[in-house]
Amino acid sequence: MTPDSWQLATILVGGVATIAIYSFLIKENSLYRFFEHLFIGIAAGYGPVYAIRTNLWPRILEPMLGLDIMHFPDGTVSHSYNPLLMLYLVPMLFGMLYYFIYSRRFSWLAKLVIGFSLGASAGLTFKGFFAEIIPQIVTSFRPLVVFEGENLLGMESFSNTVFIVTLLSVMYYFFFSFRVSGKVDKGISFTGRWLMMTCFGAYFGSTVMARMALLVERLEFLIIDWWGALGGIINSTVA
Amino acid sequence: MAFSFAALDRRIVYGLVLLCLALPIIFEYSLPPSRMKAADKLYQLVEAIPPGPGKIALLAFDFGPSTRAENEVQAEVLMEHLMRRRVPVAVFSLYPQAVDFLDAIPKRLAKKLTSEMPGERWEYGVDWVNLGYRAGTALFIQSIPKAENLAEVFGKDAEGTRLSDLPAFKGIKDFKQIVLVGEVTGLAGMFNLYVQFFQSAEYIPPLVHGCTSITIPEAYNYLDSGQLKGLLEGLAGAAWYSELLEVANPARTLDSAPMRNTATGIGHMIIIALVLLGNLSAIAVRFRSKKA
Repeated sequence: MTPDSWQLATILVGGVATIAIYSFLIKENSLYRFFEHLFIGIAAGYGPVYAIRTNLWPRILEPMLGLDIMHFPDGTVSHSYNPLLMLYLVPMLFGMLYYFIYSRRFSWLAKLVIGFSLGASAGLTFKGFFAEIIPQIVTSFRPLVVFEGENLLGMESFSNTVFIVTLLSVMYYFFFSFRVSGKVDKGISFTGRWLMMTCFGAYFGSTVMARMALLVERLEFLIIDWWGALGGIINSTVA
Repeated sequence: MAFSFAALDRRIVYGLVLLCLALPIIFEYSLPPSRMKAADKLYQLVEAIPPGPGKIALLAFDFGPSTRAENEVQAEVLMEHLMRRRVPVAVFSLYPQAVDFLDAIPKRLAKKLTSEMPGERWEYGVDWVNLGYRAGTALFIQSIPKAENLAEVFGKDAEGTRLSDLPAFKGIKDFKQIVLVGEVTGLAGMFNLYVQFFQSAEYIPPLVHGCTSITIPEAYNYLDSGQLKGLLEGLAGAAWYSELLEVANPARTLDSAPMRNTATGIGHMIIIALVLLGNLSAIAVRFRSKKA
């Protein structure tokens, strides 16, 4: 197959797959189910194979086994073998202990790897949390009245006030340590709940927007690429 | 018997939305996009990068077919701007399903720019490098700021060529030579990795983000705190960025962002109209049944 005909075949199959998936909107059907399973299977298989092909083999195994060394006709080599690369075996073997999870007798060996992974993940999360959240906490301290020189910036001040009211009332809503009883307490809590509802509305709206964008892209593909390819085949067949 | 929207077959609604979305695509019609301040900031940031070698911009295309509708056009406009500015770009991904985009987008852009400016050339290895898919997510991201030699950390490109042999990486050693980091993704948790780990004690490269519409509200937190220096908000952000490129380069071939943005806008108006009609119909039915 030439690259052009390969691309044409990809477009044609892609169009059929798209229509099959959207056919669910009319009714649940076997064509839809076939392509759904096909997608899941491809997605599941693609990741591991790609990780082996592009990372495990060329970056780890090939250099470790010295298979990336090129021998030139004059007897020289592209680079010398580094025996320290054999140290890759240590983490690899340690990681493979995970498979002992299938053995009743030696499952404790898998726990070593799980414990190591949990510890490393916890450390990373701890570090990442501070790098991510602290700047946001710092910028939440804002003036309610903003001036530029001697001019009052009305919109900035309003925006900051809304931000501070939202922050405090939503945080107050989640104080469960004491009973909310007074009118003021209930009022703040009520405000927090409604502001959160507004936020959820914004999230829902943006979700609809994203779904719409997906549909638009598929329609563009079907109308321009797929229909164009199909039209080209029909024309060449008729001619 | 009076008509009620509640009784309307949902397939008619689907058909109506489909038809309205298809019209701008069939007639290749696009409306001028709205100004997006965050995209403006990003544009100005790229404009401020001085062209030429000795620096590199890293673009992470962490998206697959599921979010290509928004992320692909974002990646295209951002990379196009960098290529026009002659800022060397290295593209990579932490997501295996993105590999086709890493290869196709820069090639497509190089072809587009060369046809627009026949006297000039955009070459692989000089103007862009494809670092391919990188495993290890957080651990890989952490290793970059610690690098004493960036070319050694990345090792080889997607085709197996040593980076030290490519002109784009000549003289690139220090983390501080990364002038921009662009993360284009719709995946939950992926963008946060860059906020959390892509920094050293001395230097935090300007981080910009192309997000899907779903994650816009979340991304604003980072823009507000200054952790993000620019943002492309879904299709609207990409369409506005495309408009800015269009104004600066009148001979430019238009991409599909403005058309998609127009179609999405029409889709939103249809949905708003249907929600209003549905609610009015429901109120009318309730009113009538109470009267009866």
